[in-house]
Amino acid sequence: MFKKNLLSLFIANICFLIFVPLSQAFVGLCCAHCGGNMPLNIPGGGIPETHEFRFKLSQMYMEMGPLRDGTSDLKTSSLLGVPDSVTKFAAVPEEMRTYMTMASVAYSFTDNFSGMAMLGYVRNDMDMKFNSALTTAAGGKSGFTMFSHGITDLTLLGKYRVFKDDELAPTKQASVMFGVSLPTGSIDKEFSRNPVPGQNGTILPFRMQTGSGTVDPVLGVTLQGSNDPWWYGANFKWEGHLYDNDQGYHRGQELRYDLYLMRQVHPKAVLLTELNYWYEGKYSDEPFAQRVNGEGHVGFSPSGGFISPLNDPDNYGGHQMAVSFGFQFQPIPLHVLELIATMPIYQDLNGPQLRQDYMIQATYYVELPTKKSRRHKGFKPPKELGF
Amino acid sequence: MKMRNFFKVTVLMAALFVGLLGSSVWAHQQAFENMGISKPRTERSAPNFSLQNIHGEMVNLEDFRGKPILLNFWATWCEACKEELPSMQRLYDALSSQGVEVVAIAIDRKNFDRIQKYAREYKLTFPVLWDPDQKVRRHYFIMGLPTTYLIGPEGKLKGFASGARVWDSPDSIQALTSLKNKL
Repeated sequence: MFKKNLLSLFIANICFLIFVPLSQAFVGLCCAHCGGNMPLNIPGGGIPETHEFRFKLSQMYMEMGPLRDGTSDLKTSSLLGVPDSVTKFAAVPEEMRTYMTMASVAYSFTDNFSGMAMLGYVRNDMDMKFNSALTTAAGGKSGFTMFSHGITDLTLLGKYRVFKDDELAPTKQASVMFGVSLPTGSIDKEFSRNPVPGQNGTILPFRMQTGSGTVDPVLGVTLQGSNDPWWYGANFKWEGHLYDNDQGYHRGQELRYDLYLMRQVHPKAVLLTELNYWYEGKYSDEPFAQRVNGEGHVGFSPSGGFISPLNDPDNYGGHQMAVSFGFQFQPIPLHVLELIATMPIYQDLNGPQLRQDYMIQATYYVELPTKKSRRHKGFKPPKELGF
Repeated sequence: MKMRNFFKVTVLMAALFVGLLGSSVWAHQQAFENMGISKPRTERSAPNFSLQNIHGEMVNLEDFRGKPILLNFWATWCEACKEELPSMQRLYDALSSQGVEVVAIAIDRKNFDRIQKYAREYKLTFPVLWDPDQKVRRHYFIMGLPTTYLIGPEGKLKGFASGARVWDSPDSIQALTSLKNKL
């Protein structure tokens, strides 16, 4: 039911974007970002023309599993047993599905500076398996699907182009990205579907939370190049988590880089491929609900073993590398559709945790010229030639 | 009495001449306005250039001296540019016999063969030139595509249009023929 609602919301949003009344724009003009095409799934991708808005709506689906420790996959059943916090646990994840709808708006204030805001809505479903004791406690159920949903953190970004080798159709560009991620997501999501008595109402593990709980700085650098019919570039992004949230912990530092290569195969279609790398540090500590109240520990005792590897802050983060394939298509002027599939090629993860299996993302992007836009009024004739 | 009649006729003829001239100038200005063509504050000479055409021959702006020119900047990656090329060809078909010239400069850095392909595809018979080094583009201060300049028979810049236009419209034909008539 929820999936149907989510799909309906996505389709409704696309319809809105298609039929949203545009400014009486004179669109028959290529402007200053002709050489700046970029995959839309990369942070900062899709910069609008000067004095224009762009709205971007993405639907992402990711599957995670099986478990991995370091570079080796593990069977969920191998970790089930009498909890000792290290090798055996009472409840162990088997698979996770994440659905995320991301909406973002951007506006270019000048040829070189644009601002953007991004907000998401996420739903997480994580299939859990119980050991025999919890199966008995759950009335014979050998597992359940952990569930959380809610809005994500709000990200506000500025992107400033510091270098371009040409005004009209640059072949080399460099930009810096800076901003903050604001804690609009939750760090207090609780169990609601746990069949084990006494567990509902206790705090959900880290990954099931929808936010970081802290104001996090974001810095990035984007390098772009083009050589008709190719576009290529690199994007580096760091997101810091510098202090503890209200639950007394902070996420590990995040570093991401994306290398991309795009080839125009048709005036309205571009094929693209990416190499994506993420690094994420471990969580700094357990939330107060765990280390003070004993939630997530055997017997509700902070000194008791972790019920699940998900409760251990050391079982998060690591290195991941993936490749992505996709295409961009412009069905009608001002509208761009992008589909991308991402598959990991290397994952070195801290502790037993679910590894990424695959991710697909569909993005719809619409440009909205304003009356100040060049596509509305055209370029001014040059004074240097007497105009 | 005869002198008075002669004076009346002269005044009438002068008024008619001024009226015709005025209406012609007005029509010319209206055509520019309707096409969204900016007129220069001071008329300056169009920067000269010498570029290779799609047949590999060198073409100089001076070669067209004495003809009004529609000088268009485009690129094969610019969709809006390609949309207006057919109307430029129709304009050329209609006015080339009257001495109006259409010249298109492609600013693609590479892919000369693609320019040739588009010229064949759109059946372009007017001169299509190639500016791979972007030198001419820079001399004409092109910041967006397509951009079009109107150049008078004496080589002076007469108009500037940013963005695609329907170049075989009555207003466009009026604007080009008025340049030929040196109004």
